[in-house]
Amino acid sequence: MQWGIAAVPLNIDWQQILLHLLNFVILFAGLYLLLYKPVKAFMKKRKAHYEEMEQSASEKNAAAERAKAEYEGKLASVDREIEEKRAAAKKELDGYEQMRKNAAEEEAEGILREAKKKAAEERRHALRSARREISALVSSATEKLVLKETAHEAYDQFLAAVEQKDEPSKHEEEK
Amino acid sequence: MSKKRTVIFVIVVAVIIAALVAGIVLTDGLYERTGDINETMQDAVLHEGDKISLFGMQVNPAVISGFVVTGILLLFAAIVRLFVIPKFTYIPNKFQLLLEQAVGMFENLARTNSPHRNGFLGAYLFAAGAYICIGTLFELLGIPWVTAAGASVSLPAPLADINGAIMMGCLSYLVILSGGIMANGIRGVGKTLKEFSLPISMSFRLFGALLSGLLVTELVYSYLALSFVLPIIVGVLFTILHALIQTYVLTMLTALFYGEVSEPHIAKPKKQKKVPSEVISK
Repeated sequence: MQWGIAAVPLNIDWQQILLHLLNFVILFAGLYLLLYKPVKAFMKKRKAHYEEMEQSASEKNAAAERAKAEYEGKLASVDREIEEKRAAAKKELDGYEQMRKNAAEEEAEGILREAKKKAAEERRHALRSARREISALVSSATEKLVLKETAHEAYDQFLAAVEQKDEPSKHEEEK
Repeated sequence: MSKKRTVIFVIVVAVIIAALVAGIVLTDGLYERTGDINETMQDAVLHEGDKISLFGMQVNPAVISGFVVTGILLLFAAIVRLFVIPKFTYIPNKFQLLLEQAVGMFENLARTNSPHRNGFLGAYLFAAGAYICIGTLFELLGIPWVTAAGASVSLPAPLADINGAIMMGCLSYLVILSGGIMANGIRGVGKTLKEFSLPISMSFRLFGALLSGLLVTELVYSYLALSFVLPIIVGVLFTILHALIQTYVLTMLTALFYGEVSEPHIAKPKKQKKVPSEVISK
């Protein structure tokens, strides 16, 4: 088909330009649909995936930081609690120790008191037995005297001997 | 210098001398053109003698190259979509990394240059970048095609044709214009039209860069003596450099201008009228 257009230099041909254009439009559409769009979509999907991973990691990191701070707080309170319990235990132990000490002292005092009482009893018993022995001695001596001297002299001697023996024992009892 | 090194040095010098002598002998009488260079270069630019029939239309070989490149790219994309993308993992393998780098690079280019609007721009830059890069590398294959006249022609890069380059330059300008309109309405149109030379500069930069490579290659091939070793550098390395540089330049410029025109307009604060000093003193 001749359009009557004057000859263009350099063999420029509008029909061939349009043919080139048609060719390029087909190429553009094909490449866009078959290559550019799917590859770009995949790259976008991968980017979203890694962004999501990063966000998730940062969230987990923040949660871990929070948990760490919480545990550190708890650890600090546990330390304080342990210190308090230790002080209470020490106090209880001191009380118990004091109580045992008091009991031991009381027991020692009781033992001492008992020992004193027992010693006094034993002393009394010893004195009584001594007195009995003295009486026996005196009676035996008296018998001997009576047999050797007169009854009267012997009686006087007996009385004198009894008085002599009684005086020191009274002094000891008063002490 | 040890004995071993001396032996190596002597061998290297001998090989160089032998190669030079062989070159001098072989190149004797070879500096004859295989055809008219003017005609060859004119054909490379205008394609007047190598039109190909496409559904009854007479088109340049670059149009066929464009369709072949599109077919290759779409086939590759379909295979990737069906067999590779469903197996993508969060820790990518080498091929997945390559695909992600390609998509990410153009997306990043769009986002950094045009932070306000970049959804469509990223996709456009990806398609344009793939088309320019793979299209330029495509000429290395040298796929033969039969012209309408029955001759054989090797398919060039799609953008080595002025029509292909104009399409790419003007389309990039239209994309920039669309970004301006979407972001700023009429003001965006004004901003874009201010850069009225952009479609021409973009088109001809692309065409000139790719054509210059083609012409250099044609010149090299027109002399038989230059056909040894040199085409590897000219044909392969220059083409690879071309592909990367042109891809970067066009996508970068498009992203840059798109970002500039789609930047939201911020109204300047109105200047307060000066109050006469007499009024203040009262």
